[in-house]
Amino acid sequence: MRPLPEKLVAPPVLALALLLPLPFVGISNYYVHLGLIVAIYMILLLGLDIVVGYTGETSLAHAALFGIGAYTAGVLAFKLNLGFWVALPASLAVSALFGLLLAIPALRVRGPYLAMVTAAFGAIVQILINEMTFLTNGPMGIRLNRPALLGVLPRDREYYYLVLALLLLAVATVNRIVSSSFGRAFQALRDAPIAADCLGVSVWRYKVYAFILSAALAGLAGTLFAYSERYISPNTYSIELSILFLLAVTLGGPRSRLGALLGAAVVVLLPNLLADIELVRWIAAAIGAVAILIMAARVRRAKAVTSGTLDMPVALCLAAWPAARSLTSVVDFKLTIFGLMILFVVYQMPEGLSGRLFRRSGPAAMRRAAPAEAGLHVVTEADGDLLVVEGLTRQFGGLVALSGVSLTVKRGEIHGLIGPNGSGKSTLINVLSGIYPPSLGSIRFLGQRLDGLPPAAIARRGVARTFQNLQLFGEMTAFENILVALNHSLRGTLFDVILGTPRRRRSEEAARDRATALLGFVGLADLADEKARNLSYGKGRLLEIARALALEPRLLLLDEPAAGLTKPEIEALIANLRRIRDQGVAIVLIEHHIDLVMALCDVVTVLDFGKVIAEAEPQALCRDQKVIDAYLGVQP
Amino acid sequence: MSILTQLLVSGMSVGMIYAVVAFGFQLTFATSRTINFGQGEALMLGAMVGLAALPFLGYWGTLPLVLMFGLCQGALVEKLAVARAMAAKSDFGWVMSTIALGVIFKNLAENIWGRDDMKFPSPLPETPLVLGGVHVLPMELVIAGGALMLMLGVEAFNRGTIWGKAVIATANDAPAAGLMGINTPRVVTLSYAMSSMAAAFAGVLVAPVTLTGATMGSALGLKAFSVAIIGGLSSGLGVILGGLLLGVCEKLTGFYIATGYADVPGLLLLLVVLSLRPNGLLGRRTLTKV
Repeated sequence: MRPLPEKLVAPPVLALALLLPLPFVGISNYYVHLGLIVAIYMILLLGLDIVVGYTGETSLAHAALFGIGAYTAGVLAFKLNLGFWVALPASLAVSALFGLLLAIPALRVRGPYLAMVTAAFGAIVQILINEMTFLTNGPMGIRLNRPALLGVLPRDREYYYLVLALLLLAVATVNRIVSSSFGRAFQALRDAPIAADCLGVSVWRYKVYAFILSAALAGLAGTLFAYSERYISPNTYSIELSILFLLAVTLGGPRSRLGALLGAAVVVLLPNLLADIELVRWIAAAIGAVAILIMAARVRRAKAVTSGTLDMPVALCLAAWPAARSLTSVVDFKLTIFGLMILFVVYQMPEGLSGRLFRRSGPAAMRRAAPAEAGLHVVTEADGDLLVVEGLTRQFGGLVALSGVSLTVKRGEIHGLIGPNGSGKSTLINVLSGIYPPSLGSIRFLGQRLDGLPPAAIARRGVARTFQNLQLFGEMTAFENILVALNHSLRGTLFDVILGTPRRRRSEEAARDRATALLGFVGLADLADEKARNLSYGKGRLLEIARALALEPRLLLLDEPAAGLTKPEIEALIANLRRIRDQGVAIVLIEHHIDLVMALCDVVTVLDFGKVIAEAEPQALCRDQKVIDAYLGVQP
Repeated sequence: MSILTQLLVSGMSVGMIYAVVAFGFQLTFATSRTINFGQGEALMLGAMVGLAALPFLGYWGTLPLVLMFGLCQGALVEKLAVARAMAAKSDFGWVMSTIALGVIFKNLAENIWGRDDMKFPSPLPETPLVLGGVHVLPMELVIAGGALMLMLGVEAFNRGTIWGKAVIATANDAPAAGLMGINTPRVVTLSYAMSSMAAAFAGVLVAPVTLTGATMGSALGLKAFSVAIIGGLSSGLGVILGGLLLGVCEKLTGFYIATGYADVPGLLLLLVVLSLRPNGLLGRRTLTKV
């Protein structure tokens, strides 16, 4: 069976189809209440997915953020006698604030360190809720009354529709955000944070956005939960619940609204299903039967019983039936079954249930037909100095990588930078683009100081770069890679994105046209929808150049653009670099291919041991004794 | 004054437990850049297996058994969770699969040994020794000494044996080690085995002075994780320092402020340390390479 495209079963529609009729079909209040919890968890998972799926970080703080939402409602009711309609906006604001607080330590760390930061944050919040009895009533908890809707006190059924309306609103909002420049920026900082910074997409700023959005949704879910249960106490918001949420995202599938629904449904409904032992036995028998069929198919294909006939997953499925028969109650083994499901998902479907069931719609639909080749928008001014570097020194501990380097790049020239390995060429580019601050010296660009600025600020001032080791956003398409760098051209704020205002839409469309034109410029038009990690090395280098050009730079820093390229590819590169120069963009070019340097450069600076040993036109350089010595060694 | 000293001593003994579990986190992080989020459950299983074998072997006799068990359990975790997740190429697969295995171990332990906490009989007299006016439980001294010995033992193994050298080589540069003919997947399995062995040993050490049960590992595992992060995932001395700091912090707050707040200063310490030194107190700073 071919999976259906996810677009066909757009998550909001599916959520409606599954959830809307629930209270009608005569099912008991018990199940309506479960549906309510599924909807509330789904709101939280939408937010958690922004952090986990898009920015690629692990958060163990979401139960605490959920608790902050619940207790915002609780404290407002308990202390100030303010009800649901005040609590709703208040919980969004309060939890967003805590999200910001959480983002501060989270900015400096990644991976396991960040996981621990979020876990610590979660633990502190839970302890504070428990101990600040004067505010939260401590372990005793708080009771709440539901808001009157149109004059009637809602039961679960009516409240369910209220929650559903908010859920749909949340799905629509999240959909808009993740398919906008924000979603692309989140993924960019997951795949290659340094490149994102060097394209003017500040990792710092977008990580804060991700945490705030995610926290606000968790807080909203918390308030809805408080009014759904009508009683809150501190024990609920433990790290175990955070782990459960993470498991739900993994199970449902990251970067998918549908995944959030599936994940929420499984973690809420599974324990209830397991309570019915007869049902479990039937399911186990069905799983066992499927396992036997799979084995039979394997034996037929291999025409023998091999060691591959009975592998671990199949053996586990086979064991399910006798296990279910022998147990009188499986509720005690709820967590084991849950753990096994997670292992199965990790082994067999890294994209989660939603990724396995539905095909993702590619961004091809969003790409616009290519307009005629657009030029690079560069303001060509009169000749003069573009970049002036004076006395630049950079030390790493005792190692002096750059020592008093001075050089000047004029407008519209290609400035070569050569030197033996370890002479400091790449370090110079890294200092110019702001990845390392200089130890001493100054960098002026169009008269402004650049030294000490963060990479994103330098990029926005018109200095773009490529990397010696490719730093592409691997999981994104070539087209999206360029769109990330076009962030600077988009108008409007996060609210314009959520509301879809015309000025935002117009600039988005312009950016798409521009990205298409740039792909055409470097000859990658037919690879627009290919994931960047699937591109060959040479094509990847061209994509990096196109991406850097999307910044509309005045100065392009290229770190060994020809490394690893074939002869025809190098010729194409030379042509491209000439075209870029002819449009008025100055280039600093690090290169080991001397013929390329000779063909292209207007002037060449030679570095050796971190010092400038020569600067001249390429032809004159070949006769410079110091350069010959540096490359070939001094004759004894 | 003597109360303060006493708090310091018992804080340090708890701290050494944190340190030895945190040391386990370091072992696997060094070779594979992954950690076992079910480390707390490895500790719990060590204590439970020790308790089960106690009537037959006596406390000191169970120690080698628990060490062996820990080795096997760690290897199993690596095979089932980490290696398979890496093979499936899912982003954070190993995080989820080690958590999932931890959940399974905890749930199984609940079903085998029940949900109630039990008393682990102490092998040493439970009357405090009086050393210079300070009351110290003999077991607290054994904990500190045992933890230190285990860490020194693993270090000696790493430095002195050919397998240990393979571990260090893999930690420095796994692809290069692989090209030099080192079976790096097996080295990663070995590091997981040693990591769980350290945790299981910590479990059987700490069991006599705490309550023993299926849930004992969760909180300890999380604290050890925070110690590993405070000290730095790459520094052996860092975890001892971090463990002692956290243990002492907890005891002092618990006594002088309120037991409910006992964990707060340690957690704040973690956040502050990470804000100022993202690689931990003694962790090596890594330069972003481009």
